[in-house]
Amino acid sequence: MRARVVVTLCVVVAVLLAGVPWIASPATIEFGINMLLLAALAQSWNIIGGYTGYPSFGNSVFYGLGSYGTAVAMLSWQLPFGVGLVVGAVIAVVFALLLGRAVLRLRGHYFAICTLGVAEVMTAIVSNLEITGRNQGLVLPLLKGNVLFYELSLALVVVATLVVWWIARSRFGFGLVAIRENEEAAASMGVDTTRYKIFAFAISAAIGAVAGGIHAYWITFIDPVSAFDIGLNVKMIIMAVFGGPGSILGPVVGAFVLSAISEVLSSEISTVAGLFFGIVIVVAVVFMPRGIADLLRRFHTYRWRYFAANVRATRV
Amino acid sequence: MDAVLSVNGLSKRFSGLTAVAHVSFELGRGEILGLIGPNGAGKTTLVNLISGALEPSDGELVFEGRSIGGLPPFRRAHLGIGRTFQIMRPFPGLTVRDNVAVGALFGTGGGERDLAKARAIAHEKLDFVGLARVADRPADALGGPDRKRLELAKALAMNPRLLLLDEVMAGLNLSELEEVIAIIRKVRDGGVSVLVIEHVMKAIRSLSDRLLVLHHGEMIAEGTPEHVLEDPAVVEAYLGKRRE
Repeated sequence: MRARVVVTLCVVVAVLLAGVPWIASPATIEFGINMLLLAALAQSWNIIGGYTGYPSFGNSVFYGLGSYGTAVAMLSWQLPFGVGLVVGAVIAVVFALLLGRAVLRLRGHYFAICTLGVAEVMTAIVSNLEITGRNQGLVLPLLKGNVLFYELSLALVVVATLVVWWIARSRFGFGLVAIRENEEAAASMGVDTTRYKIFAFAISAAIGAVAGGIHAYWITFIDPVSAFDIGLNVKMIIMAVFGGPGSILGPVVGAFVLSAISEVLSSEISTVAGLFFGIVIVVAVVFMPRGIADLLRRFHTYRWRYFAANVRATRV
Repeated sequence: MDAVLSVNGLSKRFSGLTAVAHVSFELGRGEILGLIGPNGAGKTTLVNLISGALEPSDGELVFEGRSIGGLPPFRRAHLGIGRTFQIMRPFPGLTVRDNVAVGALFGTGGGERDLAKARAIAHEKLDFVGLARVADRPADALGGPDRKRLELAKALAMNPRLLLLDEVMAGLNLSELEEVIAIIRKVRDGGVSVLVIEHVMKAIRSLSDRLLVLHHGEMIAEGTPEHVLEDPAVVEAYLGKRRE
């Protein structure tokens, strides 16, 4: 019953969002595209970070590979944009399969640091390849208008969320959660942990790469430093964790809420916006460390004690 | 004897320390084999070797006529080897029922594909070990004795042919102990072979068909409980040498 209400609500919100470009100003649509792409990225991180429990800093690599894959396919091979997106996604997935085999043996901090290193390496590699335009980057053909990019970004969020919804109620998803909660116990119960982790990484890569491809064609210019920006990966994590990692809607809600807060802050008090944004994050981590999803689930039983319990648990 | 598991000359060395030294034994179908020994005797290491959590330095493991040495833990689970952990390892973020459902979704033969069916199996197993009343609670809300039962239910949901129980009775009171003993007997009566590590001597004596004693990684005695527990070498391992 409650599930049906939530699903109906999601469909209504998606339809309303799809109609936004016909009534909103260009600036609002641009804000919308950024917000939707961040939501898709937070959702992609949710699969490997939230469900599988591997805090990846390599998702900005998938994003960058998607950007460059799409750009190179369009510029060097004269392929249409749609095919370019697929090329970008395939490159990222292959990369995730190969990289995952190696780095998914590491856990926790070691995994995080290793994936962080990969992002740095990718910047260096792309800066030195002829086909990727070295460190000057690539200029894509200009496509006027934002509506196509807005709708594509929205479609990506919907697809990513459907994928996570499927994961959450599938045998595959149970395997991932078992890995997150206790990998050794999962293996002894018959979960093929290596294969599951690599699959999760690859699905995450595909979504991240498509986001990168859409962004590249929209912005029409990419360069190695911004395409493989670690800061973007940090944003994905903050948004996913703020919303509720390992939940179906949490990362999307987190991305929407934080994008909105960030936008309001930077337009109202531009100079100290970063400071206030930081305060919002710190307060969120202290008072609701398991995100909005967990807050909504438990607030009606615990009321204000929910926050007190979290503060106590974090021992501030 | 129709051996489900044959262990031949199994050894495990950790850079200089020999945790398990040339252990050989067979476990028959539907047999309950008790594994005892003082702390640090190598009992849990032996279970880890059989389940695949550790690779042996030497020796051979044959399960239902097939060598399982070198197989990763999940493959051994698919073949029908289920285990519990001495230090309890629930999936804390999942409900009690879903903890057990993981066993049903994977486990022997790769497990059940359908989530609803897996949850039904989980509920049946929770009922069997007496945890049905807490099925919807998060696993980390359970107390010690209930966690032991949860470990047992998770392993049972895998529908194993060989069950490795690592101290599932530690810390239980007398009536809880008897319930768990009855559960393990029922499992055995269903045709499952059981290897059980236990410190509670009264329990292991009444439960086991046969006992195996490890001391400093070596097997120092094997036989019926009555026979083994009278063995001077075993008494010495536990209590030390009698002074003349």
